[in-house]
Amino acid sequence: MSFYKKLLLLSPVGSFESLHAAIRGGADAIYFGVEQLNMRTKSIPTITIEDIAEVAQTCKSHHIKAYLTLNTVVFDYDMQLARKIISECKNQGIDAVIASDFAVFEMCKSLGMPLHISTQANVSNIESVAFFAQMADVVVLARELTLKQVAHITAEIKRRDLRGISGELMKIETFVHGALCMAVSGKCYLSLHEKNASANRGACVQNCRRPYQVTDLETGNELLIDNEYIMSPKDLCTIAFVDELMESGIDVFKIEGRSKSAEYVYATTKCYRQAIDAVLDGSYNEEKINHWLQELDKVYNRGFWEGYFMGRKLGEWTKNPGSIATEKKIYLAKATKYYPNINVAEFLVETGTIRAGENLMVIGRNTGSDKIVLDELIVNGVKQAEANKGDKITFPFPKPLKSNDKLYKIVAENG
Amino acid sequence: MAKIIHYRSKCIGCNICFEMQPEYWRLSKKDGKATLVNSYLKKDTHILEIPFESIELSRQTAEHCPVKVIKVF
Repeated sequence: MSFYKKLLLLSPVGSFESLHAAIRGGADAIYFGVEQLNMRTKSIPTITIEDIAEVAQTCKSHHIKAYLTLNTVVFDYDMQLARKIISECKNQGIDAVIASDFAVFEMCKSLGMPLHISTQANVSNIESVAFFAQMADVVVLARELTLKQVAHITAEIKRRDLRGISGELMKIETFVHGALCMAVSGKCYLSLHEKNASANRGACVQNCRRPYQVTDLETGNELLIDNEYIMSPKDLCTIAFVDELMESGIDVFKIEGRSKSAEYVYATTKCYRQAIDAVLDGSYNEEKINHWLQELDKVYNRGFWEGYFMGRKLGEWTKNPGSIATEKKIYLAKATKYYPNINVAEFLVETGTIRAGENLMVIGRNTGSDKIVLDELIVNGVKQAEANKGDKITFPFPKPLKSNDKLYKIVAENG
Repeated sequence: MAKIIHYRSKCIGCNICFEMQPEYWRLSKKDGKATLVNSYLKKDTHILEIPFESIELSRQTAEHCPVKVIKVF
């Protein structure tokens, strides 16, 4: 038998479909939110207070734990609703509430509801863990910590014999898979500033996930940005070093994705379940890791990286060494139509000039990247030498494109 | 006469409507959602008739609603 301690695999649930997917995938516990006091208020159909009983019952009958997230910013007028939710959790036998606001901490205490500290509280050091030990048993660490920092915190818990409110050693929970935030978790105001939609009230409009162009307002020149999603980190994936995570003393592996689909919940839960079990029985190897990576690739992801665990800083991922190191692409146009019967694509030129014979690249949501050269240019239905901003160009393209797929010009890196 | 329409069930209680037009909006302590004061209920929507001079600000309020559950007609 290995020296690894027993850990929980905690899966996200945003619907009943996901709940059953998590159970089938092998989750030890699930977390979900209700009404408007959770961080996915806007992006998923809300599970209601009335649904808490069914979630609790389903989890009990499958012998897994259920945690409720109540981790938004809360205002004075939210108190009654928050108390009602926590009371219902208590009555229905939900195992804990995950929170980040002091008012909710107090409510949990007064109602005798076990409390976990949300990642929204940004716990990043052992002294904070010690502080929260007075009221909680589990702390979800900030996602921005390295594995060394996490390991130091778990070692210190043991060394100090730091016990939570239940009398057991404090437990550490970390995210092991799923979306990452461009800001330190819980500190992003981008969505609030642009759309008055507070990420901290579950209404994030994900401005960071959109492509941006940067224009020098003095000259009108557009900066070349190799990765157009300049604020959107790839997703966290730790399947290749689950053994190291387990060695670091983490108690709960948490998968992000309450707004994701049921097949995502199933695939991610199943892969991490198998990975944890493989580490425990000594069969964790490269071949299995590659298989899991292929499986994880099939469901929603923005591409994977190892997050902050290995000490990398955000931004390193935007350079893709070896990919187009000798070339740069310059944005020109977006797809506006695709005619499937004749395999012709229509693009609206939004910037720059396109000439016949130039090296171009189409990057499509469903088509990947395709390099093309247009021997002749059809501009607004007429053959012309060049197309400029505002023109519509059409050309044969074998794969169906979606609107807003992009057309780029390829130039040498020093060009 | 114009109307404010509030699809209340999708309200997330962000508070902006009350900040912008306290004459029309309150935040319910019962469920944390915004309430359109003195409105009448028709099917699932709350409706309040407002004078023309309130239209512009009401439209701005509707625009600021992060979940777009306020409409002005």
